[in-house]
Amino acid sequence: MELFDNLLLGLSTALQFNNLLYCLIGVVIGTAIGVLPGIGPIPTIALLLPFTFGLEPASSLIMLAGIFYGAQYGGSTTAILVNVPGETSSVVTCLDGHEMAKQGRAGPALAIAAISSFFAGTVATIIIAVLSLPLADLAMRFTAVEYFSLLVLGLIAAVVLAHGSVMKSLAMVFLGLLLGVIGIDVNSGAARMTFGVPSLADGLDFVPVAMGMFGLAEIIANLERPSVQRVVSQKLHDLIPSRADLKAAFPAMVRGTFLGSALGVLPGGGAALPPFSSYALEKKLAKDPSRFGKGAIEGVAGPEAANNAGAQTSFIPLLTLGIPANALMALMIGALMMQGIQPGPQVMTEQPELVWGVIASMWTGNLMLLVINLPLVGLWVSMLKIPYRLLFPAIVLFCCIGTYGISNSAFNVWLMLGCAVLGYFFIKVGVEPAPLLLGLVLGPQLEENFRRAMQLSDGDPSVFLTRPISAVLLGVVALMLIAMLSPAVLRKRKEALAE
Amino acid sequence: MTNLRLGGPDLGFGAFLVLVAAGTFAATWNLPIGTAAEMGPGYFPWAIALILLAFGLFFTVKGLTRSHAGIEPMQWRPITLIGIAVALFALVVEGLGLGLASLATIIVAAWASRESRFFEVIVFALFMSAAAILLFIKVLALPVPLWPW
Amino acid sequence: MNFRLMKAIAAVAALAAVSVPSVVRAQEFERPVRIVVPFAPGGTSDILARLISPKLSEAIGQPVVVENKPGAAGNIGADSVAKAKADGHTLLLMDIGSLAVAPSLFTDLTYDVQKDLAPVGMVMFGPYVLAVNPSVPAKTVPELVAYAKANPGKLAVANSGVGALNHITAVALARDLGIEWKNVPYKGGAAASRAVVSGESNVIINGSTATLPFVNNKQLTGIAVTGEKRMQALPEVETFKEAKLPLNDAGTWQGLLTTGNTPPETVARLNSELNKILAMPEIQEKIAEQGGMVRPGAPDDVKAWLDTNIKNWGGIVTASGIKPN
Repeated sequence: MELFDNLLLGLSTALQFNNLLYCLIGVVIGTAIGVLPGIGPIPTIALLLPFTFGLEPASSLIMLAGIFYGAQYGGSTTAILVNVPGETSSVVTCLDGHEMAKQGRAGPALAIAAISSFFAGTVATIIIAVLSLPLADLAMRFTAVEYFSLLVLGLIAAVVLAHGSVMKSLAMVFLGLLLGVIGIDVNSGAARMTFGVPSLADGLDFVPVAMGMFGLAEIIANLERPSVQRVVSQKLHDLIPSRADLKAAFPAMVRGTFLGSALGVLPGGGAALPPFSSYALEKKLAKDPSRFGKGAIEGVAGPEAANNAGAQTSFIPLLTLGIPANALMALMIGALMMQGIQPGPQVMTEQPELVWGVIASMWTGNLMLLVINLPLVGLWVSMLKIPYRLLFPAIVLFCCIGTYGISNSAFNVWLMLGCAVLGYFFIKVGVEPAPLLLGLVLGPQLEENFRRAMQLSDGDPSVFLTRPISAVLLGVVALMLIAMLSPAVLRKRKEALAE
Repeated sequence: MTNLRLGGPDLGFGAFLVLVAAGTFAATWNLPIGTAAEMGPGYFPWAIALILLAFGLFFTVKGLTRSHAGIEPMQWRPITLIGIAVALFALVVEGLGLGLASLATIIVAAWASRESRFFEVIVFALFMSAAAILLFIKVLALPVPLWPW
Repeated sequence: MNFRLMKAIAAVAALAAVSVPSVVRAQEFERPVRIVVPFAPGGTSDILARLISPKLSEAIGQPVVVENKPGAAGNIGADSVAKAKADGHTLLLMDIGSLAVAPSLFTDLTYDVQKDLAPVGMVMFGPYVLAVNPSVPAKTVPELVAYAKANPGKLAVANSGVGALNHITAVALARDLGIEWKNVPYKGGAAASRAVVSGESNVIINGSTATLPFVNNKQLTGIAVTGEKRMQALPEVETFKEAKLPLNDAGTWQGLLTTGNTPPETVARLNSELNKILAMPEIQEKIAEQGGMVRPGAPDDVKAWLDTNIKNWGGIVTASGIKPN
């Protein structure tokens, strides 16, 4: 069996003492930078790149990959504990994870995040091993037309991220789309709504917007309320998830893993879609959707699994075709080239021990992360024992340094400040920022792909319906819209009858 | 019944959306709109702004015609001091270095809470600045000056 | 424990300690030197800067830090170097083709490319490959031209952004060959390559690192390459010059610059250190892996190159009406 041979070959590479060590170094660094808000894996990997020149190609790639998925683990820690999302995916973890922490259930939230990530990582490793070629083929079938339809689907799903009014969520999605317009237009090169500020030319960076609207705005709102003693328990059974928790989380984990694995392969939209769509799916499937946003454990398990699975399958285009799915994978290509390996489809046949070694290392790395992170849960939770009067200035400082570090300019710090004020306003008028953030992330891609599709089809919009994948996706969108709006219509009618 | 009145959150949000839509029209009036087939850079922003305008009017009308719980009264101290703390960091970090910027940010931010104690804050600020310098400059090599000199 | 492992551990430890070999040799450099890369990490400029910085640090006895300042097609980073203190402690490493077209693309440029920046030396040149998706039945330039004329509107050239040099090259080619094709902009060269391999667009002009693997794998068909001679990896593909195409010197030109009005002796010192570094076999090897060749030379060579191409390439931009703002 070829697959078996391949996995064995991979394991024999990944289990070499050297490679285990580099994997460990990678995941430890990754966890650390993931915990720090704002310091993402991209600058860290760029910084470490020169140090990998002396390593064997497999070792260097194993270490860099470890940093990448290690950062995904660490990022959820900050999101759960202090409501500061360091990257797109953690926004979803903030929604229910931080709620759980507020209710004194930070321990189970952190543990379930780690367990879900490990589960997803394990399954995704197998998926990569078995399905990487067909999945890569699927990814290559996605042209601008299919991307557009997929993004529309993602945005409609974003509406369920907030609880409460569908109309308000929709308005926030569009507000996010509008913020996404800021910057140089890819299709024409025109500067839009940049108000002559050069730093706006490449658009709003996600991290300062998210940190302002989530982290800082919440601090401001918290300080207005009389202080409450936080519930922090150190008893072991309060730190680990109960049997009921695991039972509730497991199906979400499985669904999240498969959803994330499929979406992660697609170049471009990759990072944002898996956790958001998993959250939407769980909320749709839940018997009582109103629990979401108030500490539902499925709302942590599903997205965390989807995120980690997606992070791993985003290596598929790189490993099989030599095509980077995102900026991070482009850095990995840089690392490969420095090793004298021409990235491309031939790597899989010419350097099988490299490709399969990296794939197998993802599993060993995930195991290490679980072993590292579970004992850390107690430590993280005890951090919440720091009195809030000291904790919040520290969060403010780390947000400032983190946003400054994104492009080494004070501009992003100012942007974060503006978004904090805006986020405070949203809290006051009772709207939630999560749909806006998804609009901001997906908006530029939505427009870019729509206009590119129209340019290539000479302005014929029927391509969206004549291409099969796109037609199916848009069909799902139509069904969701009907399902979403009909209860509202029915309720209105009932209200009208009652009056 | 002081909290129940016309307006409230919906009116606030609606008015905000109308303002944003108006601002967008003002900022993009000179961008070519193009046609559906050959879209110009102005097409997408205008379409979104129109939709936001519709949402804004919807919420404004809703806010004006139905009674709501009013917006919670705003307190100036947290938002002003957190704002100043962040602004100070942005202004100071490149000129005076990370050390002083961290001190200033922690001290001003801590002031936003009524519970902060003076000496505790000073000690904590010194400790956090040292930690920040160690972590971000020494370990992560963030290219930012350490001190003004 | 083997040697490589030791080295890596030492490297990670060094990160924590930021240890710098401080051989005090020259008084010219008394502070750490920054190499500004005006793009996100991972691109060619970034990799080159990180390749050169440790060697430069050894030579001048000061730490050399690579700083990514991305944004506005490289103009934010370039502007920060243009406005730095003119003492040679702030360097700029970038594709100077972008600098050559910047004055004609951006009417509101905040610095003067020729006055506010002082060239130190050329680092490398990487030729372009013109390639098509195999669905286009063409293997040579005449076949491509014939196909374009027979099927107007069928060809779509992917470029790495409005005003990028491969966009300008595509516009110049269409004009000289009398053909029409759609110019489809993407966010960066990697996205453009992907689109042409998948068949979303069907023609690409891009650096060899991004195209060669696909040409070798028959997922793209090589049509022509830029540069003075044919590429070793593609001996059967003729050069633009042989195919009588314009812009035979198009490609990635990576250059090192510093702030304008820097004392000439400082620039000369930097230039001689750069050329020494470029002569090292290991550096040449790494640059070859980036699909390029080293181009040691005098600061004035770069200056002349910039003057020429601000006129030539900038002229094409103006004539074709490519206008980002």
